[in-house]
Amino acid sequence: MTGRLNLTDAPILPTMISRRGFVKTGGALFVSLAISWRFAGQAGAAEAPTSLDATLPESWLEIRADNTIVARTGRTETGVGITGYYPQTIAEELNVRPEIITLIMGDTDRTPDGGFSAGFLTGMSNLRKVSAYTYQALLALAVTRLGVPAASLSVADGVVSGGGKKITYGELVQGQHLELKIPVKGAFAQPDPAGWVGMTSLDGVTVTGDPPMKATNEFKVIGTSFPAGHIPDKVTGKTEWSCDVVLPGMLHARMVRPAALGSTLVSVGMLDKKKFPAAEVVRKGNLLAVVSPDEYQAVRAALAVAETTKWTKWAGLPGSDNVTKAIRAYPWEKPSGSKGKAEETKAALASATKTVSASYEQGYVRHAPIGPFVAVADVKGDGSVTVWTHSAQSQGLRARIAFALGTPVEKVVVRWREHSGQYGRTTLGGDGAEADAAILSQLIGKPVRVQWTLEEDLEWSTVSPAWVSDMKAATDAKGHIVALHSANYAPHMFDPRPVGALLAGMPTATSKPGNWVATEWPYDKIANRLEEVYGMPNLAGDSANGGLRGNIMRTPGQRQQDFALEGLMNEAAAAAGADPIEFRLAHTTDERMINLVKATAKAAGWETRPSPHHGARRTGTTEVKGHGVCVMIRENAYWVGIADVVVVPATGEVKVAKFTIGSEPGKIINPRQLERCMKSGVVMGLSEALKEEVTFDKSRVTSTNWSRYKILTMEETPEIQVVQLSRDDKGFGGGSEAANALVPPAVAGAIFDATGVWPRKLPMNPANISALLKSKAGAA
Amino acid sequence: MSEPVTLTVNGRKESVTVDRDMPLLFVLRNELKLTGPKMGCGMAQCGACAVLLDGEEIRTCVTPVSYAAGKKIVTIEGLPDVWAAQKGLSAGDAAKTLHPVQQAWIDEQVPQCGYCQSGMMIAAIDLLAKNPNPTVAQIKDAFTNTPPSPHLCRCGTYSAIIEAVQRAAKLMQGAAR
Repeated sequence: MTGRLNLTDAPILPTMISRRGFVKTGGALFVSLAISWRFAGQAGAAEAPTSLDATLPESWLEIRADNTIVARTGRTETGVGITGYYPQTIAEELNVRPEIITLIMGDTDRTPDGGFSAGFLTGMSNLRKVSAYTYQALLALAVTRLGVPAASLSVADGVVSGGGKKITYGELVQGQHLELKIPVKGAFAQPDPAGWVGMTSLDGVTVTGDPPMKATNEFKVIGTSFPAGHIPDKVTGKTEWSCDVVLPGMLHARMVRPAALGSTLVSVGMLDKKKFPAAEVVRKGNLLAVVSPDEYQAVRAALAVAETTKWTKWAGLPGSDNVTKAIRAYPWEKPSGSKGKAEETKAALASATKTVSASYEQGYVRHAPIGPFVAVADVKGDGSVTVWTHSAQSQGLRARIAFALGTPVEKVVVRWREHSGQYGRTTLGGDGAEADAAILSQLIGKPVRVQWTLEEDLEWSTVSPAWVSDMKAATDAKGHIVALHSANYAPHMFDPRPVGALLAGMPTATSKPGNWVATEWPYDKIANRLEEVYGMPNLAGDSANGGLRGNIMRTPGQRQQDFALEGLMNEAAAAAGADPIEFRLAHTTDERMINLVKATAKAAGWETRPSPHHGARRTGTTEVKGHGVCVMIRENAYWVGIADVVVVPATGEVKVAKFTIGSEPGKIINPRQLERCMKSGVVMGLSEALKEEVTFDKSRVTSTNWSRYKILTMEETPEIQVVQLSRDDKGFGGGSEAANALVPPAVAGAIFDATGVWPRKLPMNPANISALLKSKAGAA
Repeated sequence: MSEPVTLTVNGRKESVTVDRDMPLLFVLRNELKLTGPKMGCGMAQCGACAVLLDGEEIRTCVTPVSYAAGKKIVTIEGLPDVWAAQKGLSAGDAAKTLHPVQQAWIDEQVPQCGYCQSGMMIAAIDLLAKNPNPTVAQIKDAFTNTPPSPHLCRCGTYSAIIEAVQRAAKLMQGAAR
């Protein structure tokens, strides 16, 4: 862990260090934002067990006299391993061991940057730059202390050596209170009801400037499989999860939700005080809850109150069987987003002698964590608010809660705790139980814990909208694509409104009906393309409670749009009589993609030939086999998925026998954590490909437990083979998404290979596949 | 009606005064502050709330506390002690030893969000007690087809769990030799 020395590259840095004073014990270098603001509203916040120095809660890094380091980030561990690779990144730039670094995550009053937890790379980039600045500052301190020129210093494992002398980072800061200010841009989220997602910024604060950083080929810690720090406490039961937060005098709440999606409250049901002496009913508008100091009493009393509560009748949904028809029937006007060359593409399609076209579709799906939403809120008489959450967007949630309650943002503190994965649903800071809890706490003046039930979560949380895509390609005489037009139609996926605030009739952002082109184009040899997306409001969006609130979900937009794009690539390959992998390679010159496709195909034992397989058939009770492929580029990472499936035509059953997944995300930071994300992403993708669908009748969502909203089980999990390519010359790419989105197109291609029939609708469950194989449609 | 119920939890006698029908999960989490078991579906469909009752997995979200009276309950907080007792470890060694299943879960970096993993480890211990050296197919079968429901993981850690169960099996056999 010997570091480079380029102090002279940044002569300005020593002047950025200031000495606040001397201390009797300890001492530290605090590395903070170079903007002038303080955390306000902390008077009302509860005791702060992880706060290490209340005078500088906004510090990014603290280099401490005991040779430990504290790092703070507004981003949070959502299960993809940032508690592994954030310490790695910091350790790399500082030339220390990652084990000495403690992370503080997510709390709005104790972390400096804000931003959303899906933005791992931007969060990591912040800490990497902060560490690089800090390294220069530590060297400057060492020059003074050791009295040797910078050029003769070296650093290993947090010890600076030079001129025959040595000093540790801890000794450099011993007895002092030093500060280093880091240049930043951006700001924390503020409510902006008219804005795109109802707040000013998803990104938080970004570190600026260009401190000297270690070259990729010098990395010693990055590239190793440092373990994720959150794991041991979770395995031993020591983690305090958001569902574990208990406050003195706290009441447990269970919500009584409307009888139908668009119902309004007619009359509140009876609460039997003899049976439930400590329970109380709390109501605001259509927000109805039962609270009790005893959780079990709250559960039973809420069920009893629900039985006699009257709601208006409502039946404004099309029914899930008709959802894509309803989307088709919407009076579409202009696209809300487009990419590519409109005129050239239209002209090429109009004059083409050969075309390939198809339409693809999917119903609603949802994030469906194992742990339903839960939150604790404490709204004090002085207007200060503290919320305990597992939201992946602490600063954004803070803005939303402030806006709903009519409180200044500065009076709201959000504390983050671990909980069930969110898979994107809290990235906008809106979905969850926090608004329920805050509104109830404001009404009754006590801390309130709101625990949603699974049924409630599967009915009232946000959803990933249904969609249809129309795809058309023009080909030359050999079947090579010369122009491609895609048009995706869907309810929008950016509804940030907390359901509690909607039901209570309290202020929320407005919901904007736009979507965006999410694909990253992998086929540079297709001369002309036009990608268009159309966004409509939520289904039943004009009803009392906001309708089916659309939200982003893991690999948003690209999951849907790539199913159509890769589906069409498979269909065009078949039309050209070409192998699906060779066909893709013929449409790109991107060396990164070509290398990864070849490596993954080799690992999968891919047999080069056109689809369908010569033994393909659409009838019969015995198994047929097939293979299929999908490629993707996302956030500077390249992805390839190859599915080997077995289909029983008579029953429509599809089994995935093996899935091979390849990734080249530039420099791989942590191979083990990436492998976990790749394999688990494949599981989530298989679940969506084969099983998932939100069902609803005209009044309400009906897929409200695990036997109705089916997700993949362990038994259905195939052998998953992982291919990783790391390279030093392309920076870092995103590794926590994309894997799930590779699966449905690859499985669809494999089903075609096995049966000769194109699956163009998700999920590819026995009912849909059986109906498809029996119908006349879908043949090549 | 609240009444006293005596339980043996992680080797300790505990007396609580609660409704006899109260799900054991609420008693463990709210009365005894054992928050390892998690509230998932509330209807025995996911496994997040699983604990060992006299050595076998049960779902505490649907088990009335009265059913557990007089029986031995183990949550993940108590697993190191179970292992220490099984192996006759000294108090000093016990304090720094995890149950092999917990150790394997760390070694294999199993948890992503981790919400289901308390229940997954309980299911692993139940399985390994019956079948000390399970094949991949047997692990899949146990985690999927053992009543009352499959153990569900939404993050998709099933492959990692399979690897960890096999690692735990080796650790336990190694310790047995």
